[in-house]
Amino acid sequence: MMHLIKLELKKGKMGGYLWGSLITYAVILGFLLLIYLVEGPTQTEPIFQSNAEMLGLIDTLIRATFIIYASVLLAKLVIGEFQNKTMALLFAYPVSRKKLLAAKLSMVFVWTLANVIIANFLIGTIFLTVNANLGYVPDTISSELLINHGISVITNALAAAGMSLLPLTIGMRKKSVPSTIVTAVLLVMVVCSNNMGFSLGSIIAIPLSLAALGILLTLLSIRNIDRVDVA
Amino acid sequence: MTEIIRTRLLSKTYDKADVVTNVSMKVGRGEIYGFLGPNGAGKSTLMKMLLNLVKPTGGEIELFGERLLPGTIEPLKRIGHMIEAPVFYEKLTAEQNLELHCEYMGYHRPGAIKEALEMVQLRGIENKPVKQFSLGMRQRLGIARAICTRPELLILDEPINGLDPEGIQETRSLFRRLCDEYGMTLLISSHMLAEIEQIADTIGVLDRGRLLEEVSMESIRKSRTEYVEITTTDVKLCAVVLDDRLGIRNYKIVGNTAVRIYEMTITQEELFKGLILNDVPVTAINRRHHSLEEYFLDLTRGGGQA
Repeated sequence: MMHLIKLELKKGKMGGYLWGSLITYAVILGFLLLIYLVEGPTQTEPIFQSNAEMLGLIDTLIRATFIIYASVLLAKLVIGEFQNKTMALLFAYPVSRKKLLAAKLSMVFVWTLANVIIANFLIGTIFLTVNANLGYVPDTISSELLINHGISVITNALAAAGMSLLPLTIGMRKKSVPSTIVTAVLLVMVVCSNNMGFSLGSIIAIPLSLAALGILLTLLSIRNIDRVDVA
Repeated sequence: MTEIIRTRLLSKTYDKADVVTNVSMKVGRGEIYGFLGPNGAGKSTLMKMLLNLVKPTGGEIELFGERLLPGTIEPLKRIGHMIEAPVFYEKLTAEQNLELHCEYMGYHRPGAIKEALEMVQLRGIENKPVKQFSLGMRQRLGIARAICTRPELLILDEPINGLDPEGIQETRSLFRRLCDEYGMTLLISSHMLAEIEQIADTIGVLDRGRLLEEVSMESIRKSRTEYVEITTTDVKLCAVVLDDRLGIRNYKIVGNTAVRIYEMTITQEELFKGLILNDVPVTAINRRHHSLEEYFLDLTRGGGQA
């Protein structure tokens, strides 16, 4: 399995993935800083009431971005290989089809999970540091806040990683890249939308059950792969 | 075990359209098996079924003596293949593509890739991305990929498509070499009869999904192809002389000017002499043979009645 993942990375060029992540972090950070620096100084209607709210927005934005990013990866690693017909090449190797697909999907899962956690850690730290100096958000950092936020980041990251597989089941039906990515965007719009502080994602059961659904449907779609014709 | 591929009543139906119907074929170890058939005869589908890419709707396949089931992967280690136009990871170089192939095949022999590229006469392009390759170069690279793991069985679908005449000749001798020197068994499909005629040991003729005939090239050459044609202005006299004086029975009068002898019981010199001495007005004597093309057209037109 590790060997298969290594081969996938070789195929897609490892460096590309790392750069992709770094650039994404930079863009998210830039966007949030823009909000913070422009809206922060206005005292009448402060953009963030508390540190928890600030960190919450950071987390939401990161998850939304990486769920969509994951769908792009799925499109490339799975749907793209069907479209380029290289999947037929892979399926004619003496390697089980299930393992081949499992390697690809676990890459996407781990990649999303790791990125959501790392990005939260990096961007969160930067924000807390910046705020400690500028003080636009009038709040103190408590260890309780950090622990609570840490737990929620990790559960949400797991949920995001599971959900990130959902678009594949839709995209696989017609082996279509657009439908994979559009599904991810719709998913994000439902789960990560925020209406006056309320979000479907904040009821933790919803993202977690969507994650479970994502994993379940993916397993179901892999189950019969040995019987499928690959033209 | 002498048979590498064996199928029994193999069929494939897509949405009620029969693509392959009840094909029972045998490919023996160490031979070159030429798969002949017009476009859309089901050659590629059959080859994909052998690679387990397409699942049969009926019948069964045995590879290396073992039955191929939906999840079977073992025999794939021993097979090299190129189906239709070969596909590659376009952004990777020729060498990287072959490296990946060897990794997935679980084949590790230093120098294997270089050797395969040499064999197909692709030199100095190892580090070029495949997307810059021409059609002919892709085809060669596809063959290199198929042979670099030294498989026991090579399945090639239209391997000479897109090659120039020189390339075709090189490839032909490469196939012969792979068979003779490395003992590989080759299954090659083509719609180009002349090509198959020159390299195949056995041919299978496929038309509209059915295997019309499976026959060794040798027996085609022997049994149906050669005859001596005498062109004369007096076919009747010629026939009488052949019958009475020269003892030749197996001949046929073709039109008003020619007699074809299918079985020569005397030498050609004796034939000449006999005809001249008996005043048969001979204008020409030619040794001819039915080309595979005639044979093939006979078969496909006659719907298998040949």
